[in-house]
Amino acid sequence: MPTLLTLDGTTSEVDIIGRRPQLNLRVDDLHCRVEELPSGGASPCDITINGQRHRVWRAREGDRIHVHLDGRSYSVGYQEAVRAAAQSGHASNEIRAEMPGMVVELRAALGDDVAAGDPLLVIESMKMQITVTAPRAGVIESIHVEPNTSFQKGTLLVLLRAVVE
Amino acid sequence: MLKNVLIANRGEIACRIIRTLKEMGIASTAVYHFADRGAPHVAAADHAIELTALVPTAAYLDTAQLLAAARTAGADAIHPGYGFLAENAVFAAAVEAAGLVFIGPQPEVIRLMGDKILAREFAVAQGLPVAPSCQQDGTLAEFVAQASAIGFPLLIKAAAGGGGKGMSIVRSAEELPARASTASSEALRYFADGRVYAERYIERPRHIEVQIFGDGQGHVVHLFERECSVQRRFQKIIEESPAPNLPVALRDRICAAAVQLAAAAGYRNAGTVEFILAPDGEFYFLEMNTRLQVEHPVTEFVTGLDLVELQLRLAGGEACTLQQRDIAQTGHAFECRICAEQPEHDFRPATGRVAILEPPQGPGVRFDGGLRVGLPVTAAFDSMLAKLITHAPTRAESAARMRAALAELVLLGVDHNVDYLGRIFAHPEFLAGRLHTGFVVEQAEQLVAEPLTPAVRAAVLLAAVLGTDEFSRLAYECPEPHASIGHWRN
Repeated sequence: MPTLLTLDGTTSEVDIIGRRPQLNLRVDDLHCRVEELPSGGASPCDITINGQRHRVWRAREGDRIHVHLDGRSYSVGYQEAVRAAAQSGHASNEIRAEMPGMVVELRAALGDDVAAGDPLLVIESMKMQITVTAPRAGVIESIHVEPNTSFQKGTLLVLLRAVVE
Repeated sequence: MLKNVLIANRGEIACRIIRTLKEMGIASTAVYHFADRGAPHVAAADHAIELTALVPTAAYLDTAQLLAAARTAGADAIHPGYGFLAENAVFAAAVEAAGLVFIGPQPEVIRLMGDKILAREFAVAQGLPVAPSCQQDGTLAEFVAQASAIGFPLLIKAAAGGGGKGMSIVRSAEELPARASTASSEALRYFADGRVYAERYIERPRHIEVQIFGDGQGHVVHLFERECSVQRRFQKIIEESPAPNLPVALRDRICAAAVQLAAAAGYRNAGTVEFILAPDGEFYFLEMNTRLQVEHPVTEFVTGLDLVELQLRLAGGEACTLQQRDIAQTGHAFECRICAEQPEHDFRPATGRVAILEPPQGPGVRFDGGLRVGLPVTAAFDSMLAKLITHAPTRAESAARMRAALAELVLLGVDHNVDYLGRIFAHPEFLAGRLHTGFVVEQAEQLVAEPLTPAVRAAVLLAAVLGTDEFSRLAYECPEPHASIGHWRN
């Protein structure tokens, strides 16, 4: 799922395409090869994108990231992917597995009212436990997996029903 | 010689005054409201005394508390800076009545120049040119009739005020009654004095002002002119000295008029006489500011004089030995006011917290600020955060220096006008010195930022998102398959 960023009133998608041999990202339709030199997390740092080097200072304050790049200042709106999806209004009712795994435990029950970001179930995948959260507010319509059962990529895990306004 | 000066102010001007006090070996006493307890002027001063008030600005306006603080600190003088009580005659008189030195003009001179109508009459009596005008001395309806007789366009403003409050341009008789009424109610709200004043509005006027310094005994010198025509919402954002494209003979006449006015008033300490310059070369007295100006650094750069030092020496009882022939104007200086605001949204004030501050450095570059990392920028105080000043042999070189310095300045955590100022310094009309007070409005379309190219936009977005823990973990640390479940969190 792409990360959504807003700048000058327009939203862009940033997605990871590949990591090796170089970090390869997509910003809307633009492919970007990225080298960021380590800077200990501090500003300034240098970032090289498609061979073009930029001097960057940045500071985050909640959902805003202030950036100074090549002599100009910008304010970028950033929402973590889950909340962005939850607030977009287009989030699906169907929560499907994006990769094969196993259900560790259910954290929500049939008929529960859930808010965006509430935990639905814990799965194990690639030797990591991951909490799957509600992409938006709703009621648990149905649960299609049980603890200690495995699932394939694309399996429907939970179905939400929209809350009637 | 003064021993201990209390600064009845905050922010950049308090820091700037403290710097000269340190150089002269005079102790400094800062005052602050709780909201400013972490501000640099508090840390910079030798002593700091907290003032209490429900509203932060009220603390800096509280005469009784300021005088008590001066007594507590053992201060022998008070420097008011600019704004707050700097042009308050009652305060100046109270300071003197308490046996302290007020670093500024005599209270009666402040009172005279603070009243736009009295000041104008005084200027007329000294033979200074003034624009045709009328003042409200009866009802608003009578004022409207008198103002219409001057002719249009008219500038309507508060009799008691400054800073653009209650000011508007009226272009026809039809709109005059409503605009006069609005101006009057704004004047009442801001200055507790509803009287309004109208004068002939000069199209494409320039704002030229003269820095003067007087000893209070009739000896007055000028420190040349400043051009302050680049304004937004009637407030200056760029000042420079010398004024571009101003014939020397005309410049000399304007400076002489300023000296004449100040000498007639027996003016003491630093002051500024403001003029409107019409495209035909006629100039008119506008007002006199009886204090140190925000833009005094451009004068300091071109004259090599420290205005605060001059103020402190005179206040400390030294004779003013400065003669006109000793004062020269060398090179060209610009000042930019760095404000917390959004130029793209009609300069709406912005708030935030200073996260990163990297002032520019180098020869001919001066950064006057009262900022530090972590400092909140709130709506409680004026939106001006700092001033960037450059000096170079020519106007073109000084402008190039300013443009580079603006790009070098890193200030993150609050929206500001630095990039906007940079666009002004790239504007051909500005660089040609063809200025007037409507410049910012007239050139608004040319001063909008160009849309970003996709490559620059991508660079900004990637610089932003790669700085977040969440995304950089996905990008650099996760094994490949996990990246695609980035929105699942463990």
